[in-house]
Amino acid sequence: MALKNLRLGLGRLAEPESRAVPVRVSTTGARQSDRVKYLFILPGIVWILAFTIFPLVYAVRLSLYNSKLGLPNEHFIGLGNYIRAYSDERLWEALGVTVRFVVVSVAATVILGLLLALLFNRPMRGLPIFRAIFTMPLFVPAIAIGYLSLTIVHEDGPINNFLKLFGLKQPIPWLSDPFWAFLAVCAVDIWQWTPFAFIVLLAGLQSLPDEIYEAAALDTSSAFQTFRYITLPLLTPVILTVTILRMVEAFKVIEIPFALTNGGPGVSTRTYTFYTYITGLKNFDMGYGSAIAIVFMVLLAIISTIFFIRARHIYD
Amino acid sequence: MVHRQSSPLTRGVAAVFITLATLWAVFPFYWAIITSFKNRLDWFNYSFIPFLQFEPTLDWWTQELGPAGRGPELARAMTSSVTLALGAAIIALLLGAPAGYALARFRFHRWKNRDITMWFLSQRFLPPVATMIPIFLMVRTVGLLDTPWALAIANATFTLPFAVLILRDTFKELPIELEEAALVDGASPFQVFRLIALPLAAPAMVAAGIICFAFSWNEFLFALILTVKNAVPMTVIIAGSEHTKGVIFADVATRVLTGVIPPAILALLVQRYIVRGLTFGAVKG
Repeated sequence: MALKNLRLGLGRLAEPESRAVPVRVSTTGARQSDRVKYLFILPGIVWILAFTIFPLVYAVRLSLYNSKLGLPNEHFIGLGNYIRAYSDERLWEALGVTVRFVVVSVAATVILGLLLALLFNRPMRGLPIFRAIFTMPLFVPAIAIGYLSLTIVHEDGPINNFLKLFGLKQPIPWLSDPFWAFLAVCAVDIWQWTPFAFIVLLAGLQSLPDEIYEAAALDTSSAFQTFRYITLPLLTPVILTVTILRMVEAFKVIEIPFALTNGGPGVSTRTYTFYTYITGLKNFDMGYGSAIAIVFMVLLAIISTIFFIRARHIYD
Repeated sequence: MVHRQSSPLTRGVAAVFITLATLWAVFPFYWAIITSFKNRLDWFNYSFIPFLQFEPTLDWWTQELGPAGRGPELARAMTSSVTLALGAAIIALLLGAPAGYALARFRFHRWKNRDITMWFLSQRFLPPVATMIPIFLMVRTVGLLDTPWALAIANATFTLPFAVLILRDTFKELPIELEEAALVDGASPFQVFRLIALPLAAPAMVAAGIICFAFSWNEFLFALILTVKNAVPMTVIIAGSEHTKGVIFADVATRVLTGVIPPAILALLVQRYIVRGLTFGAVKG
């Protein structure tokens, strides 16, 4: 058996050569085991090639044609769709909504998550129960949360009723005013994803070494100084990871505006994905829809690259 | 992490905030539950305690679950959701377990292990709209439109990164000596994988499967475009609960609850893997 060769393939976990069990290694055997690894990995790769890479190539091709469903003579129009995208005001509006949504929602999620993590980072009974409670929103369909919040932010719903206790005169027009509607969409997303930031940041906090805090305690630095000069710098990698992962997901948002506002009022909550969906599969303008989807993919690829550059060492 | 002895006041304040945060997380679920038992007249009332503040009714649930109401429709949607999510999870595990094992135990050269891992991961970063239109056309061409199978395939693709990353991590942490001993005894790499590594990784397999299942269950965009009538899953059914006459609060509540309960319960089973799984191993929980 080609143990030696396999051992060499074991990466960091392999023991030094000298301690390896001496076995006879034939060259044919070595080749065979070297090839076996491809049998393990190829099914996954082929699957992705078939169901991601091929559709992507197909989308690029579509984006160069003026194809519409039911339109008999589609023909090549080169970059025509991309030029149209550049001058499409509604697309820019959708991008603007999306970017604002990402900024508000991700910033709030990470800050609230950090505050919660600091709050819970203490010896306390029942932490697993709290963690379990906070995990539930993550595993709930966003579309369901969207429709549920329709009843919660309703003009006569519990939020406005609650605010009335504090002297609110006019009910807040959560869904009929562009500003409040946008805020409602953000709020629902923040509700759903703050637990993610919280749980991950708490894990990050709990993995920080104790010694450094003991030293800080000896130096009698205040709680705030400890946070500012020790916790925050040490936690920065985790905060960045959470921020980028959240950003990538937030950019793709469609469920919550779909459920809560249907993109309205006007187009004040129509996100990029939402606009692409309407263009491509409501109006069946598939060439143009593909073009704007490709543009979006490139935008997101830039953000993901930041993550991959930072996280590269983890996957060695 | 050490803590200085905090004063009773600090602890009291912390307790208040912890309670508030928990209420904040739980409130929408509680709201959905009480709304589903409220009479139409009580919807807009600021009341939270059944029997004391409002008289609960079972009408909405009989309508939702009963054979005369929307029961049959709900049963169809549940079947579709279970089929597509289970199918996706099984495919993701069948492809992800060997891939994760290969990335943990073999060394690739031209394309390094790291590159392959990140390539798998990049699937999760790709916006679904990018492949939405081609996949719709492909599914239509092969005649799988309005079947759970098309959605199982699409969701297996979306959730494969979870399976690969979680299992790669798990296999890396297994003691390698067992596998080496088996190789010395003449087992083939496949036998080692199937008879030694896989059984040891069983808990992680279950966890990865559950995460894939839940994310597939929750997926909405592709479910919306690839189903018409027969294969409509829970997420799309929930999206249909809006009424032309305005929002029927209780309908929304019962629908949301039936769609939410399966993934929410599953989430409780995978606590140990959540941080690691959802950050793709970037943060160890």
